Amino acid sequence: MARLNDDAQWIVLMGFIVSFALFFLAIVVNQSTVVGQTTAEGVIEFPKNDIIDVRNEILFSSGIVNPTNLTDVKNDISSIGLARKMAIISFNATPAPPGSSYKNVILIHYNNGVTAYNETANY
Amino acid sequence: MVNSDGQLFTIEGISAGLIMLLTAYIVVNTTSIYTPGDTHISDMQLEQLGSDALRLMNTPNTSATSAESSLQKIIINNDTAQFSNTFLWFCNSTTSGTNDNLQFTADLYYRDKNTNSVNKIHLTQTRNLIGGEHPVRVTEWVHLNSNGQVPVNNREQAVLVEVLLWRD
Repeated sequence: MARLNDDAQWIVLMGFIVSFALFFLAIVVNQSTVVGQTTAEGVIEFPKNDIIDVRNEILFSSGIVNPTNLTDVKNDISSIGLARKMAIISFNATPAPPGSSYKNVILIHYNNGVTAYNETANY
Repeated sequence: MVNSDGQLFTIEGISAGLIMLLTAYIVVNTTSIYTPGDTHISDMQLEQLGSDALRLMNTPNTSATSAESSLQKIIINNDTAQFSNTFLWFCNSTTSGTNDNLQFTADLYYRDKNTNSVNKIHLTQTRNLIGGEHPVRVTEWVHLNSNGQVPVNNREQAVLVEVLLWRD
């Protein structure tokens, strides 16, 4: 090309610039797959549904009056949680202070090694 | 010394360098082919769908304290056909057109009070797992009262329904 014909250099230069711009835009589009992966894995790794679920069960169980049944259900939750959800789950319910409109104050502990969730719930 | 000579030499040099770099980049990249299916986006959506379906099944349709959810009734009555129907209805329904085609296998985990071991009861399945699927796992805690055929020990207990869910 060079020295054979030196006309239209600016057109060729602009052509190259546009091509390179398209190349970098293609890289951006290419990266969108990886961005989706990071988001999806973040959502999967965070045990949102597990916590909501076990929290519901714990709040319901905190109302059990019979102390034997309460101990049984506590052991159910911690044993099955450890065996199947790979999470350490425990809770303890104490009566709410006088004048409170709630029945119990419940300490909830959840830890699956990646996410730890601790809550003091009034229920 | 600034003039506009030799522009095409410069351009050719730069473009040749970029072409070589690009070729090397593409060759190295072709050792792994990365498709959107590898990104777990569909897994995330499937897991949320399954969790929502199980939560719907575990919600009583009245606010009375004695009300039982359909999932509680299914476990107490060991009504596995009902589980299959309800779960697939929630998972496979679409707003229009043909239904989705999700498959599942469901187990129930409980704690035996006497041995303090966690045991499994197989509930039901639509298809056997043969290893080629790519299932996600969704679970739901279910509270069972003592007034029924509770899996073991006949006591008030918390059990875990575990469903492996995949798109066929």
